[in-house]
Amino acid sequence: MSIATAPTALSGVLPESRVLTGSAASGWTGGMPAEAVVFPADTDEVQALVRAANETGTRLLPAGAGSWLGAGGWTRVGGVIVSTARLDSVLHYEPADLTLTAGAGLGWRKLAALLEPNGQWLPVDGPGVGVGTLGGAAACGVPGPLRARYGAVRDNVLGLEVVTGDGRLLRIGGRVVKNVAGYDLVRLFTGSRGSLGVITRVSVRLFPRPEADVTMVFEGGVEEVLEVARVVRASPLPVAAAELVVRGAGVADGEAELAVRVLGGREEAEDVCSRLVAGIGAAPGGTMRGGESEVFHRRRIEWEGRLPLVVRLAALPGQLAATMEWARGVAGWTGGEVAGDVFGGVVRVKGSPGDDGAAELAETLTRVRREMEAAGGTMTLSQAPREVAARVGWTGAGGGGGGLAEKLKSLFDPRPVLQSRCP
Amino acid sequence: MIPDTLAKSLVKICGQSAVIVDEDRLLVYESDALTAYRHRPGAVVLPRTTAQVQGAVTAIARHGLPIVPRGAGTGLSGGAVALDGAVVVGTARMNRILAIDVANRRAVLQPGVINAELSAAARPHGLYYAPDPSSQTACTIGGNVAENSGGPHCLKYGVTSRYVTGLTVVLPDGSVAKLGGQGRDAPGYDLVGLFVGSEGCFGIATEIEVGLLPLPEGVRTLLGIFDRIEDAGRAVSDIVSAGLLPAAMEIIDGPTIRAVEDSVFAAGYPTDAEAALVIEFDGVEAGLDAEAERAAEFCKRAGAREVRSARDEHERMALWKGRKKAFGAMGRIAPDLLVQDATVPRTTLPSILKGISEIGKRYDLVVANVFHAGDGNLHPNILFDRRDEDELERVERASKEIMQLCVDSGGTITGEHGVGLDKKHHMPLIYGPAELDAMWGVRRVFDPAATMNPGKVLPEETAPGWPVEGDARETGEPMATVGAAP
Ligand SMILES: Cc1cc2nc3c(=O)[nH]c(=O)nc-3n(C[C@H](O)[C@H](O)[C@H](O)COP(=O)(O)OP(=O)(O)OC[C@H]3O[C@@H](n4cnc5c(N)ncnc54)[C@H](O)[C@@H]3O)c2cc1C
Ligand SMILES: Cc1cc2nc3c(=O)[nH]c(=O)nc-3n(C[C@H](O)[C@H](O)[C@H](O)COP(=O)(O)OP(=O)(O)OC[C@H]3O[C@@H](n4cnc5c(N)ncnc54)[C@H](O)[C@@H]3O)c2cc1C
Repeated sequence: MSIATAPTALSGVLPESRVLTGSAASGWTGGMPAEAVVFPADTDEVQALVRAANETGTRLLPAGAGSWLGAGGWTRVGGVIVSTARLDSVLHYEPADLTLTAGAGLGWRKLAALLEPNGQWLPVDGPGVGVGTLGGAAACGVPGPLRARYGAVRDNVLGLEVVTGDGRLLRIGGRVVKNVAGYDLVRLFTGSRGSLGVITRVSVRLFPRPEADVTMVFEGGVEEVLEVARVVRASPLPVAAAELVVRGAGVADGEAELAVRVLGGREEAEDVCSRLVAGIGAAPGGTMRGGESEVFHRRRIEWEGRLPLVVRLAALPGQLAATMEWARGVAGWTGGEVAGDVFGGVVRVKGSPGDDGAAELAETLTRVRREMEAAGGTMTLSQAPREVAARVGWTGAGGGGGGLAEKLKSLFDPRPVLQSRCP
Repeated sequence: MIPDTLAKSLVKICGQSAVIVDEDRLLVYESDALTAYRHRPGAVVLPRTTAQVQGAVTAIARHGLPIVPRGAGTGLSGGAVALDGAVVVGTARMNRILAIDVANRRAVLQPGVINAELSAAARPHGLYYAPDPSSQTACTIGGNVAENSGGPHCLKYGVTSRYVTGLTVVLPDGSVAKLGGQGRDAPGYDLVGLFVGSEGCFGIATEIEVGLLPLPEGVRTLLGIFDRIEDAGRAVSDIVSAGLLPAAMEIIDGPTIRAVEDSVFAAGYPTDAEAALVIEFDGVEAGLDAEAERAAEFCKRAGAREVRSARDEHERMALWKGRKKAFGAMGRIAPDLLVQDATVPRTTLPSILKGISEIGKRYDLVVANVFHAGDGNLHPNILFDRRDEDELERVERASKEIMQLCVDSGGTITGEHGVGLDKKHHMPLIYGPAELDAMWGVRRVFDPAATMNPGKVLPEETAPGWPVEGDARETGEPMATVGAAP
């Protein structure tokens, strides 16, 4: 499929006004190669596109707002991007049921604004979700620190409508909070990153916004702050989330900060905070309450923009000190930041490595992956310069399942037309 | 009956005492807790290790016989029933807790560990396992994984699949797959999530990694007594929409209350009431009283004639007693009990409950409701006597209508008991051919030779060419013959 013919292969399916090509397309993707970006307006159009792509052998990449394309190296071959941005209507929202069904393209900010007046939210705080779409969050399935309290994305996705790679329309799961009818295909598609189908609708479970939202920030040397994190993690008190960040010069100097978030009734939250402080034996450097705390975390999930390098290190939370050490080793090459989820054990490194250090960076990454795998963890490149990724590999040996993943991919996308491979 | 050669290989792999072929001893394995479906297995084998399961599965598959995994047999959808002379692979001897990792709040265990025993073992470390099916003193974690079981406290804490972080699975071809593990953050598809709830059709879980939670510091338990069940339903809906998040909210209706009070389990609920609502809050002590008071206020506003609260653990157990003993009590007042299980959107509870009661009246049947109200997970149970043929037919019709009512409200046909044998013919109520076909496809990815628990979950008629040619497998009985109380 040449660049010139790809859009033609799908022409007639959508009006021209909803097809971007050339510089308009690469403008939308932020410079990533794309033969076209298309914007279907309903599920039928998505299905028609996927079927046409199957007939013509056109490669597709499902997308939401396009905020995190190129992750995992899936888009290296260009192709046609199918954005759900126009599938953004709210189909069902009954506040008293605490459930919502909406088009996959519903923007996160719009969603939050809709829930706010009813004192509700979708407590998903994966990196970057705040600038993407609901469908993108479901497709990526990346949890953030709030998972400790509310579960991961997959625990709160109740149902999906998807057009599979071979053009089948599936409505799986439902919109009730407990449902065990049939095999759990919702879990399979959540986190499948556009490799099995285009998600067109999402049903989620919502939560009441807690009365109190308090964030305490502890600062100090990395060792010191890690010790505070250890105390917080071992405490039976209900902490909603805790994240440890090493920033800028701190990577070399070993300066860090720990944000501990407590959610609940007012009386409960204040009690938990004062008991945590007593247990830690030191007062926080700062405490944010209510809107201030919310804004702090919202900024955090909208965070980094398109950084060239994002690495994800996952191990058990008890290994956090070691994982942070590995992460700092990587960050040292990039001038970047390190953020560790205290309860989840996942540590992210992000930064902008210079061109010169690529070989050393790749070497460090390879060593870190080897050491982490030996310790039972994994290291994944989320974004990386082509050269680095080529040397290191996006994912390591992990994953498991002995061929099951490949079989599932070919079950739903046999040709295949979807560019993404198994994540 | 299984071929001698197979019996011999199973003995060789698992030991003499682990293989049951004696017809009388096989009787125990004839059904699960839904006793209407009875099929004697060809044999039962009780391995102790993953390697033994692997050996057994390979040997059975080589003889072309189907395999049925089995935990404690407390299932309520006929999932562990051995159709067509299948060989049961039971996990009763795989009952070791392999590790309680306090620092990471997780446990690694064999599948035959009883749910309540895991929590008991974790308790000295200040931890517990959150999903608490009402059958938790008997059911196994392996069974919970296969059914994605829930329980009263799943309202606040979520169901089984949220807590399973890793699985070692023996696939139908005898190979071993490790899914997730070490906290479930590895890249790739969520195969753990896909396996949970697969009802024994994808393979046998032989090692399970789960997350544990710290024990809550305090608990407050309330009991609201209502004259109308719709009012109790409204109280639930009001409490949830006010932003309160109780750990549990359970409703016991009038017929159930009377059954309990007539039995040895009498809990002191007023027998002229039409609903009792158990509400529980847990967490740190601070603020708990205020939450309980607000919930009590919602009950009164919805029309509760009385709200009791427990002052100590003894009183708390008393308030829960009517809920916990409901099934046992119902079993005593009618020869047969059809345990239903459907989920509806919470806000439809009042109207659905009214609808169910009308259907019961129309068919002149006693319908007793006891259920996880906070999640909208209903258990409308029909009491009957299967020897009365006319009644049997009315049960069948009423039960179908109830199911349809729940589905029409935006609900589903099972919230926690699974599809198994019992509900597979209801699957088309909620899924069309495309979805059913996709499920068949996924099933075949795990089990291309149709070895593992065939005849369950998916209706055969939705899969052309399935079961394999020449297989005249029995597909279960119509649901109205569902039988004696568990
Ligand atoms: C600054 C930033 C940092 C991030 N960090 C990470 C990270 O470390 N790890 C990570 O995994 N994610 C990360 N994300 C992604 C994030 O978790 C969100 O899920 C993402 O923002 C979704 O945004 P989007 O709607 O724009 O999706 P896009 O950026 O358009 O797509 C993101 C991915 O999801 C798939 N996708 C999107 N919509 C659909 C759909 N409807 N159906 C099927 N597939 C779809 C795409 O194929 C692509 O693989 C980050 C995002 C941002 C902006
Ligand atoms: C009185 C009573 C109350 C109940 N309350 C609840 C409740 O509150 N919530 C709820 O969700 N359920 C409830 N149940 C239903 C039942 O207890 C659960 O479904 C339970 O998880 C079954 O566990 P088991 O060990 O008895 O499994 P079994 O009945 O032996 O098997 C159930 C299914 O799991 C499969 N299976 C078992 N072990 C494995 C394994 N290791 N690998 C793969 N597949 C396996 C079997 O093939 C079968 O399909 C109740 C049952 C009773 C009798």
